Amino acid sequence: MADLDRGAVPASWTFKPSAASFHKLTALLTLALLIFAFSFGNDAFFTVNNGLTVLLQTSVIGLLGIGMTLVILTRGIDLSVGSVLALSGVMTGLSVKAGIPVAPAMTIGVLTGAACGLVNGFVITKMRITPFVATLGMMLIARGLALQLTGAAPISRLGESFGALGNGSLLRIVEKTGGIFPKVVFPGIPYPVILLAIVAFVAAYLLNRRQTGRHIYATGSNEEAARLSGVLVDRTKMIAYTLSGALAGLAGNVLMSRLVTVQPNEGVMYELDAIAAAVIGGASLMGGVGNISGTMIGAFIIGVLRNGLNMAGVSAFIQQIVIGVIVILAVYVDQVRNRR
Amino acid sequence: MNLQPQSEPPLVQMIDIEKHFGGIRAVNGVSLDLYPGEVVGVLGHNGAGKSCLMRILSGAMIPNEGSIKVHGDKADIQNPHDARDLGIETIYQTLALADHLNAPSNLFLGRELKTRIGNLDDAKMMSETVRVLKKLNPNFKNLNDPVSSLSGGQRQVIAIARAIYFDVKILIMDEPTAALGPSETAMVGELIKKLRAEGIGILLVSHDMHDVFELCDRVIVMNKGKDVGSHRIEDVTKDDVLSLIIKGELPHDWVPRSQEKNNEH
Repeated sequence: MADLDRGAVPASWTFKPSAASFHKLTALLTLALLIFAFSFGNDAFFTVNNGLTVLLQTSVIGLLGIGMTLVILTRGIDLSVGSVLALSGVMTGLSVKAGIPVAPAMTIGVLTGAACGLVNGFVITKMRITPFVATLGMMLIARGLALQLTGAAPISRLGESFGALGNGSLLRIVEKTGGIFPKVVFPGIPYPVILLAIVAFVAAYLLNRRQTGRHIYATGSNEEAARLSGVLVDRTKMIAYTLSGALAGLAGNVLMSRLVTVQPNEGVMYELDAIAAAVIGGASLMGGVGNISGTMIGAFIIGVLRNGLNMAGVSAFIQQIVIGVIVILAVYVDQVRNRR
Repeated sequence: MNLQPQSEPPLVQMIDIEKHFGGIRAVNGVSLDLYPGEVVGVLGHNGAGKSCLMRILSGAMIPNEGSIKVHGDKADIQNPHDARDLGIETIYQTLALADHLNAPSNLFLGRELKTRIGNLDDAKMMSETVRVLKKLNPNFKNLNDPVSSLSGGQRQVIAIARAIYFDVKILIMDEPTAALGPSETAMVGELIKKLRAEGIGILLVSHDMHDVFELCDRVIVMNKGKDVGSHRIEDVTKDDVLSLIIKGELPHDWVPRSQEKNNEH
């Protein structure tokens, strides 16, 4: 009886790609198309150097996007990541200035981010404030703190080692030529890119292979059902927001390290890029749908678009318009497909 | 009809349970016993307090007053997790399924099987799900699809499977057949009889008088938050029960039907 409606469907029908993999395929094709088109437009686009530049530029949004994906999967949103990024950078900078070595100072920065996320989680689950409002509050609080602590002035002269994370790279091969500048054979894989790859891998593992990940999906899919099934929904949400905050902190360190200066007004509107990356990658703001690989594709679509349009001499204003249109198109394509 | 096995302690005793929301007394001093191998129908209008009482037992709601004993020991049920640890399983009317997850993920939700290093053991969960679902519905396919794409009957089967797979002692069924066709309803009826034979206590919330008289040993009728009558099923007729549900009292000329028969002899 139960199978009547399904039984009428031919067996081959079941091989259709799932909604998620269809979306990912579309996104991947879009990315390939963009790379193809930009390569035609400019010879300098499709080069190793530029490829690494795109990777480097995408790493910050990628890190924020991963945290955002975890939160969006629980049917939440984290508007505070851009500000938390700045506050975390400020805390790292102040710690370095106070004489703490760079590595522990950066840990303090990441922990600051995690603490902001934990507060978000607490306000959302215990005070029952909607994620939008709670993280909007944190967005203002963290930004205000970052500006207050620094007097809105950048912190510079942090030492060379502070810039290592953002500017260093692995497997850099140089050839001594006898001249002043050595010839760079391979510029190396920037540390932020390696960091992004590791974080993406760990986050995907968490979501797919661990109970916490399963509970994140369940909470976003049907919170009441998850709760009745014995899922500790509040704890699951706390974990998601804390991880989002910690990743914002990590992204803050990467970004400030790249600039070798702490800018308390960095990262404004980054939360929107992070949300865009997740949504372009197939995450649903209604919760329960999305994954890390999709968000990575989404982040790279934004990164490639920015880079390619920059090289083509398109203004930053037009770039915003283009990315805005792509976000809407991505969601529209998804909805049309689901309506069928 | 088997007699109440009085020698055994009740599986569950709910004692003087009260639950109010503001000024509204949803449950007003209700007590309920459930013995092993017994099916008790919990009846009443919508809003009579029966779902509320069931939610208290399943840990979804915390009572203002009253206590619960399980196997004679006082139980502190703070959330659904606690209730499940005590062997209290619930099949909710809404089914409580996570739509985007597949059947095995739903069946094991909150109690996922893990490998030695703590990873999710999806292969084991899938094979166990196949084993359990085959018993309930041999035609079950689509185990990898999100449950949102399944039919109402298949979703119900998953909800039932989830309740009976683990070591269930007390089963709460809230309108288990409301979404089902005739053959599936019959399947649920058979299942209830089988579970009763295994000594599991079942609380059946239902509006279907046919089901109630077919399956229950006893009924408890609630009206405006109060217990207005708890009767062995052979002592009442459908009209008696409907009178309790609607008016909150038995017909004036009521005598227990079993005694009525005795008097005729």
